[in-house]
Amino acid sequence: MEEELRVRLNDHHQVSKIFPVKPKSTAKPVSKSESTESRYWSSFKPHSIPNLVSSVSALAFSPVHPHSLAVAHSTTVSLFSSHTLSVSRRFSFRDVVSSVCFRSDGALLAASDLSGVVQVFDIKERMALRSLRSHKAPARFVKYPFQDKLHLVSGGDDGVVKYWDVAGATVISDLLGHKDYVRCGDCSPVNDSMFVTGSYDHTVKVWDARVSKWMAEINHGSPVEDVVYLPSAGMIATAGLNSVKVWDLIGGGKMVCSMESHNKTVTSLCVGRMGLDESAENRLVSVALDGYMKVFDYGRAKVTYSMRFPAPLMSVGLSPDSSLRVIGGSNGMVFAGKKKHAEKKQTSVMSFWSVNSQVEESRRRALRPTYFRYFQRGQSEKPSKEDYLVKESKGVKLTRHDKLLKKFRHKEALVSVLEDKKPANVVAVMEELVARRKMIKCVSNLEEGELGLLLSFLHKYCTVQRYSVLLMALTKKVLEMRAEDINGKEEFKGILRNLKREVNQEIKIQQSLLEIQGVIAPLMRIAGR
Amino acid sequence: MIRGGRSYVKSPPSFSNDAKKLLVCTGNNVSVFSAATGLQITSLEGHTAPVTTLIVVPASSAAQKILCYCWTASLDGTIRHWDFSGPELLKTVDAQVPIYSMVIPCLLSEPQQLDSSKLVAYVSVEDTSLVKEGSKELRGHIRRFNLAKERLPRGDTLKETEEPKSIVISPSGEFFGIHHKCKIHVWGVPSGGGSRNALAKKMTLHHTKVINAFAFHPTERIIAAGDVTGRVLIWRSFGNRKLALASQKKNARSMVDLDNPGVRDGDDAESCTTWHWHSAEVNVLNFSSDGAYLYSGGREGVLVVWQLDTGKKKFLPRIGSPLLYFIWSPEPTLSSVVCADNQIHLLKMPSMEISRTISGIKPPPSLPKMYEGLSSTVAFDRSSGIAALCTENYCVQLYNLLNDRGISEVQVCERNHQPGDEITVVVTAVALSLDGSVMSTTEVKLPEDGIGGLVSLKFWESEPDNKTFTLSTIVYEPHKDAGVSAIAFHPTRSMAVSTSFGGDFKIWVCNSDKSQTEKDSSWICHAVGSYKKKPMTAAAFSGDGTVLAVAAENVITLWNPVKNMLLSVLGATLTPITKLCFVGKSEFLVAASNFPKPELSVWNTSKLSLSWSYGLRIEAVTSAVDSSTFAVLALVPKTFRKSKSKKNIFRGRDGAILLFNGSDPKPVSIWTVMKAQGGSISFLEGDKSQLRLAFVNGSHEYVVFDPSSDDTHERSAIDYEGLVGEEETGDFGYTSLYGQLPDYDKKRKEDAESLATPFISSERPWETIFSGSTLNFPPLQKLCGEFFESLMEKSNSVVE
Repeated sequence: MEEELRVRLNDHHQVSKIFPVKPKSTAKPVSKSESTESRYWSSFKPHSIPNLVSSVSALAFSPVHPHSLAVAHSTTVSLFSSHTLSVSRRFSFRDVVSSVCFRSDGALLAASDLSGVVQVFDIKERMALRSLRSHKAPARFVKYPFQDKLHLVSGGDDGVVKYWDVAGATVISDLLGHKDYVRCGDCSPVNDSMFVTGSYDHTVKVWDARVSKWMAEINHGSPVEDVVYLPSAGMIATAGLNSVKVWDLIGGGKMVCSMESHNKTVTSLCVGRMGLDESAENRLVSVALDGYMKVFDYGRAKVTYSMRFPAPLMSVGLSPDSSLRVIGGSNGMVFAGKKKHAEKKQTSVMSFWSVNSQVEESRRRALRPTYFRYFQRGQSEKPSKEDYLVKESKGVKLTRHDKLLKKFRHKEALVSVLEDKKPANVVAVMEELVARRKMIKCVSNLEEGELGLLLSFLHKYCTVQRYSVLLMALTKKVLEMRAEDINGKEEFKGILRNLKREVNQEIKIQQSLLEIQGVIAPLMRIAGR
Repeated sequence: MIRGGRSYVKSPPSFSNDAKKLLVCTGNNVSVFSAATGLQITSLEGHTAPVTTLIVVPASSAAQKILCYCWTASLDGTIRHWDFSGPELLKTVDAQVPIYSMVIPCLLSEPQQLDSSKLVAYVSVEDTSLVKEGSKELRGHIRRFNLAKERLPRGDTLKETEEPKSIVISPSGEFFGIHHKCKIHVWGVPSGGGSRNALAKKMTLHHTKVINAFAFHPTERIIAAGDVTGRVLIWRSFGNRKLALASQKKNARSMVDLDNPGVRDGDDAESCTTWHWHSAEVNVLNFSSDGAYLYSGGREGVLVVWQLDTGKKKFLPRIGSPLLYFIWSPEPTLSSVVCADNQIHLLKMPSMEISRTISGIKPPPSLPKMYEGLSSTVAFDRSSGIAALCTENYCVQLYNLLNDRGISEVQVCERNHQPGDEITVVVTAVALSLDGSVMSTTEVKLPEDGIGGLVSLKFWESEPDNKTFTLSTIVYEPHKDAGVSAIAFHPTRSMAVSTSFGGDFKIWVCNSDKSQTEKDSSWICHAVGSYKKKPMTAAAFSGDGTVLAVAAENVITLWNPVKNMLLSVLGATLTPITKLCFVGKSEFLVAASNFPKPELSVWNTSKLSLSWSYGLRIEAVTSAVDSSTFAVLALVPKTFRKSKSKKNIFRGRDGAILLFNGSDPKPVSIWTVMKAQGGSISFLEGDKSQLRLAFVNGSHEYVVFDPSSDDTHERSAIDYEGLVGEEETGDFGYTSLYGQLPDYDKKRKEDAESLATPFISSERPWETIFSGSTLNFPPLQKLCGEFFESLMEKSNSVVE
């Protein structure tokens, strides 16, 4: 009883309500666009960097803040600032650059080119610090080991994986074992001497720099295009042809799961965190020549997000602070996506160091009645957590046609919504007019120009399945009622001709659908038995 | 037994002096509501016929504001004086004739000297001695009545009219009047109210249209009147000549020759102005307490405020129902507007916002002809005793039958209802799941000239703890363009079936178990079925939910709802089936068909055969979940009711509720009811021990009673109300009247094949049974048999 009383007291029984005209709700898409996952991935605000000469073969992020981005395209490696996405430096090579990599402190950058040379740059200087020449065929990948600042791993089309001493520009060991081109590789994120390489001989080999033979071998089943370590270092992900496979290294190289939702060859993989919190999960991001980027939740073996780009994709990268998502296309486009509030965290960290300046600033901001801002103070104040918010009841937002309908100016409402060119709204207004028994009157009152507007709308949408029930009947009625006006004008005849063609086409489609149904129905019946 | 659903709006309500209570006439009682919460506090019970007038004794000083006295007048011919804080009956005055309206001028004019011996009331009564069929006698009388002397002298009649009129009194208590056709008759109250011989002076104002309502200005001599065409007329300075007091007479005479603009027929008024905004008749007129504004309202459901000096207007639009009364409270910030849909809205005053609503049960919607009898506009939540009722303004009202109180309203169709408009959108059906958590509605948008008709089916879900439904799923055109004929819910799972006249039925399931959050749940089509493309007219799930019965016109098809398999087909009835209901958890299935030949048939689903049938027109069927009893609401044919010997039994009642037990064709008990057309019944089983039957009649009055109890005691109360012509539902216990007598087992054929069960015609015709002493009546079981035989058309030939 008491509870009921409370419910009763709370109900704000509003009798006089205005209902704006709403279009019919449509069926929701099957893949829920509003999951947290897809919200996260679609929240990257698109930026694109055009004008790079040719295919973007490799991307790399600096491991230290501000995580500048190195993009390898054609014979150049361009260094971009991750804030403004503008070029800060260019390094040029003699041949097409195939791979690029930052050292763990972000101070040096290594890149390999198709002439077989691996070059090491200081990111602040133009000239190469070292040129490592030993590969007899194009070098395809180069990688700094985790935290190790002195060595490099590289691989190339000669099938040899080389372990370099950078300072001396000498090969420490040639790791032999691959029978075909070595195209990719990655270094363990926990151990300085462990790394994996993938080759066109379908295998991925796990190496230890301290021994000259591979320690484990995994067969992907197709030429391996890319291989990455997952953050735990116990698992790796490989990409070959249109499949991405996740393998358990510690468990003896068993396949954990595979994802085959790409239609063409997967070109690149990377691992990224969803956000910065401790609980954020890791995702495997893959791009392929079919132009799709797919986000793969390898824990649940599920593709959680997929996005299409207008070019075959060659490379992908996620910045370590997960504020930037960069994808390189084969046409020289870089599709970058930037998160808006990723910077906030950074500034709050910064302000920790600049307490003094802030105190000064607040003193400066003390307002006096002589300031103009004094009179605006507090207007844009945001409520703090413990404040009790008194909510103002929001009025119903009315569009122009709603206001006209409210004033019973039916024809004007119809014309105004026709001018808006939103078919769902037009149909909703028409339904409302039907419910008010004013549709016929509206049609008969339309002036010439307005009639043209209506006719071209009908021509465009009367065969759309969602609206056809209403619009077909209306079209018939309009033609019946306004036959004289339509005959009188040349322009209307054109619309009418198009309308006729449209309807004929629809009839043909319907007929062929019926034919198909006729073919299928007996089959279904047999299957039902 | 609980009765409810009474109209709150038959006569105007009244505020108490402290404006904290609102007194509302509800049938025979006066209910006192709290203005702050809108809940009922208490009720004044004592009148034996509907209360027509309610006058709260006004407070003359601030100290008296706590006084809670009121006078009531009723059709039972008594005037009563109450202390409604108690509540306590202080005094009863018997006037002996039905009182339709009453005013007590001296309460307003001289509140200081409330000498009860001098209280004079003016009453509008119906002279019952003149009542004859079709007579043109002037039955309505306006009389003067001394409340102290408790006698209604004949001589004091002021005016005689064809019908009793309601009296309007001026707020100052100086004048009162009635409107009669195109005229307003106004009387001045003689000063010094006690003197016997001072009869009231009378004057008349004329108009060319029938006047619907009028009001007096609180301080000046101004009358505002509203007519049927929507005009509002303002007469200023009326009665200067005829009603003037002796001292003023000289001044008045000098003004006779003046030209009085707008005043007709030499009426006694200085001027008459007309305002016209309302498009339909004006029902409500009231001046504000300071006299600066005039409130008017009518069928459009818009309250208009006129500034009296300038004629400027302000509006409170979209109330959604014709207005009936507008009353002020002593508190200037509170007033109340009463609507025809049984709602009393309390207004926050200068801003005219509706702050609270006292909501009675809403009257049923008026449906277009084609939907009459096909729609099921009432659904019951059996556990909590809540009924969901379709209303005029595209809403479903949830009404607690046990507490007699509206709970909430669900806007089914997002449109504003404008009373008086052509009906273009109809909510045709509402259904509730057994646990009351899911509601389903269908609405039809009627096409204009063949354009834009639309049928949609909606599923609503409520949180378990409160009864506010939120829209879960809309299905547009669930069965192409064919209308939905019935909706039924699965007793245990979240599954529903909708049948259509287009020849198919669809099973809908809620896919909430797949998704984690409740908000994502939606209803999707699980299966479609049809039987020989016949129109599907009714559907029901069996008690355990394993069998779905769908009526395909005149055959009953049984389906497995999960696998969507046709299990079997039950033989044909003669006419299309309109209602289906499984009897509890038993194997019996009740089917009812109405047109063209009414029939109630009970089928045995395990034997797949007909058990028995009656030729009764059935309005509603319900069955208890656990036991094997079921009840039907049958309409009694008019020809049968009218015949002489049964008149005293039915007394204007047009239907009967019959309670059956399982396969037994003899009803366990019968109650006759009023306004059964469009009514519905349902068992309510809140607590396990008690099984109650709820009956909501065609005008949404209802009664909840225990069908198993021996209601001898209640019968007396019901009969009494029946005698005094109370327009309420009443039951009439045959069982209690004749007592349970030893078995008289008349063999009835339970043969499977016999569709038209041959009934044994009795030697004695039904007419003679009730003649003679009640002691000689035959036993009940025999009576029932005969009773029903006489209801049915006899078929002589037995179908092989």
